[in-house]
Amino acid sequence: MFTVIKSASTGIGPRLGRLALPGKKVVHTPHYLGITSRGVIPHITQDTFARDASITGVYVGLEDFIERAPYQTPPLYQFKPPKDSSPLRRFIALPEDTLLVLGARRAPPVAAPAANPNTNETVSVCTAVGFRVLRADDYAEAAERLQADIVVGLGDIPYGRKLGNKRIEKATERNIKWTQDHINLRHSAETRAQQAKLFAPLLPVSSAKQRFYIETLIQVSERDVAGLAVYALDSLEDLPEALQPLPRLGFTTPSAPQDVLQHIVLGIDVLTVPFINAATDAGIALSFQFPSTSCDQSHNGSDPLPLGIDMWSPAHAVDLGPLVDGCTCYACANHHRAYIQHLLAAKEMLGWVLLQLHNHHVTDIFFAHIRASIANGTFTDDVEHFQRKYESRLPEKTGQGPRVRGYQFKAEGPGEPKKNKAPFTMLDDGQEKIVESAPPEAGTDASELEAQGFAAKA
Amino acid sequence: MSRGADQNDMLPRTQHALKFDLVAKCATTKARAATLHLPHGPVQLPMFMPVATQASLKGLTPKQLEETSCRLCLNNTYHLGLKPGQATLDTIGGAHKLQSWPHNILTDSGGFQMVSLLKLAQVTEEGVRFLSPHDGTPMLLTPEHSISLQNSIGSDIIMQLDDVIATTSPDHARILEAMHRSVRWLDRCIAAHKKPESQNLFCIIQGGLDLELRRECTRQMVARDTPGIAIGGLSGGEAKVEYCKVVKTCTDLLPDGKPRYVMGVGYPEDILVSVALGADMFDCVWPTRTARFGNAITNVGVLNLKNASYACDFRPVDEGCKCMCCRPTSEGGLGITRAYIHHTAAKETAGAHLLSIHNVHYLLILMRQVRDAITEQRYPAFLRAYFYKLYAGEKHKYPQWAVDALAGVNVDLLAES
Ligand SMILES: [Zn+2]
Ligand SMILES: [Zn+2]
Repeated sequence: MFTVIKSASTGIGPRLGRLALPGKKVVHTPHYLGITSRGVIPHITQDTFARDASITGVYVGLEDFIERAPYQTPPLYQFKPPKDSSPLRRFIALPEDTLLVLGARRAPPVAAPAANPNTNETVSVCTAVGFRVLRADDYAEAAERLQADIVVGLGDIPYGRKLGNKRIEKATERNIKWTQDHINLRHSAETRAQQAKLFAPLLPVSSAKQRFYIETLIQVSERDVAGLAVYALDSLEDLPEALQPLPRLGFTTPSAPQDVLQHIVLGIDVLTVPFINAATDAGIALSFQFPSTSCDQSHNGSDPLPLGIDMWSPAHAVDLGPLVDGCTCYACANHHRAYIQHLLAAKEMLGWVLLQLHNHHVTDIFFAHIRASIANGTFTDDVEHFQRKYESRLPEKTGQGPRVRGYQFKAEGPGEPKKNKAPFTMLDDGQEKIVESAPPEAGTDASELEAQGFAAKA
Repeated sequence: MSRGADQNDMLPRTQHALKFDLVAKCATTKARAATLHLPHGPVQLPMFMPVATQASLKGLTPKQLEETSCRLCLNNTYHLGLKPGQATLDTIGGAHKLQSWPHNILTDSGGFQMVSLLKLAQVTEEGVRFLSPHDGTPMLLTPEHSISLQNSIGSDIIMQLDDVIATTSPDHARILEAMHRSVRWLDRCIAAHKKPESQNLFCIIQGGLDLELRRECTRQMVARDTPGIAIGGLSGGEAKVEYCKVVKTCTDLLPDGKPRYVMGVGYPEDILVSVALGADMFDCVWPTRTARFGNAITNVGVLNLKNASYACDFRPVDEGCKCMCCRPTSEGGLGITRAYIHHTAAKETAGAHLLSIHNVHYLLILMRQVRDAITEQRYPAFLRAYFYKLYAGEKHKYPQWAVDALAGVNVDLLAES
């Protein structure tokens, strides 16, 4: 399933690999997974995903589907598509050859409030109707039945909280039990032709601190545990050699491309990259490129370049150029900056669709160049060059993004006010027309209207 | 059947950027099937036109809109005039270039939005006076402004600025004034129109619910020989009975050889009846707006997929529908279920986009079926079958206005098919 093509000279480091599952596009690593929300890459309908994006694999959090549990069976569990195909894949209309990775929580998840701790049998998950508990055995069973390509086992991951020694001990015990139980379930289940590969979640502490769990993982076969899910880079520093051949899937929330590079340097093979969706919602077109060779001398000595372009800026209003020169994404091939700026200013949803396509494409190319650089043996120099060439953070967002939902932001408890106002409300027929044709935004004055030729000052 | 229609109406005209080919007339009703050749390609009439208010149709890419079979969509002049504004449109080279839409665009005059959105708008002979929504500065939108803006937009069909008042207005003197002023403004629009060779200016018949005024207005507008004719002022709160009378009165006086556009009409039943009364073109924001609330348009009525009863409904949004969303994967579609729309409705924008694809496709395909029924001389039977299915065979639920209006064009909706 996973083959290392080129490994670091000593210990853990950047490496080239090949993650090949039957019937799926081969994932050449390092690579990334597109992050879904309720089964879609935000804003991208499934037909556009298949036709106008080239995302190799996606990550789905089960918590997006189980708001009715445990009182009612979630609809997804009742869905029985024809011909033995994956219920999850068919439900979210994902193309057959796109790698489908399922975990319990979103990436990144909303951290559970202190009042909703994990227990020996359950983890706290955030659904569209608030925090709920997910039983470890229920998760394992659902994950197997939904037939993703890769299932990330349930872990007692504290997301954002530091673990004390006592708590690490408890978490280690839970991970051992949940992983063992999941493996046993897989052994007892009638053999499916296409059983998902199980990735075991490492606790976000060093391997030494969770050594009993690590030892358990060393003892099981590759058929039982085919990969590792990594939540903190600490776990890789002292990862025993026996586990090193396994592919490492990172939930390490890089916040800029420099973090991506660093996480690859520290040994992550497949990353989840939340800043892609975040940049899109912020109206930012990613514009960085990884030097595929070290002979990129175009930028020596001058100020660092921005990692993205704020498309809210009126500076783009008559710019008929692409978001990034030479970009071949759907947005750049068919549209121009002026349109995307207009769509954002007019709060038209297509703006985010186009940015999302572009931003994923830029990330595709970024990873392709990273792989080329590792293959060339110039990665260390190229990373250094990249760090000199670009600013260390994405630009600040200046405009208002799409409406934020409860399961998308960090909530600390009930009764919190809505993050932003509903852009539309059901009204009577006459008023709906007004909603549809909302009057111009505040901030334009009459002379501006006049300057735009719309009407004259009387 | 009168293929070719009245030859007098088919004479070549000066400075019209369209060609109207009448393909068939229904032998029973006043319905027509035609091909309208526009600067950005031919469209088939009768036709529904989705509304891409601000140069985009609710999250759909132009490629997706094209795939619903749409070849003519609307943009709103009022909105484009504000954003991106005329100077930007001129620099970019118009709305087709702005939105990378290779097919046709129709724009309204901006007057309707002005009057309906801005409470303080006041109509004078010069134009529409209003206070800037931002700083209260008095502003004026004239027929010349509207046309100049639409010239910058470059839409294939542009609309005259008309004096819009509510059809329900009791003030007869005002209705009369508005009708005559609309005619005078049409003359100013024609004079101001700089691109008659590439943009078709349509007049808009006014006159409220007064049929005599409508006749008078129709005669005056027709005399001005615009390439197409709209019947305006009807998307307000008037009773459907009155609406049908106005449409029929106007179409009775209109030449065969020009397209007839009824503005702001989009419910399937309203469209089907209007086609029988002789109208060809319709637009409405309803299919896309309603998609955002989780509503799917189907042959058995509108389904609100946000309703809990659809959470585990694994059928396609509309069984048998061939849109990208509903079509099974075995036929190259997505095979999206009602349950999945329920899952994403009001939670992910993509859920609304999928329903918009379906709803727009639904209306476009409905119009294609209407057209086929007209050319094959079975439109009355088509109407009966459509209403029968929509009301699940319960004929006592048929709306009386539709039964009456269709009776007026020789269709007994209640008869056996
Ligand atoms: Zn691009
Ligand atoms: Zn459909």
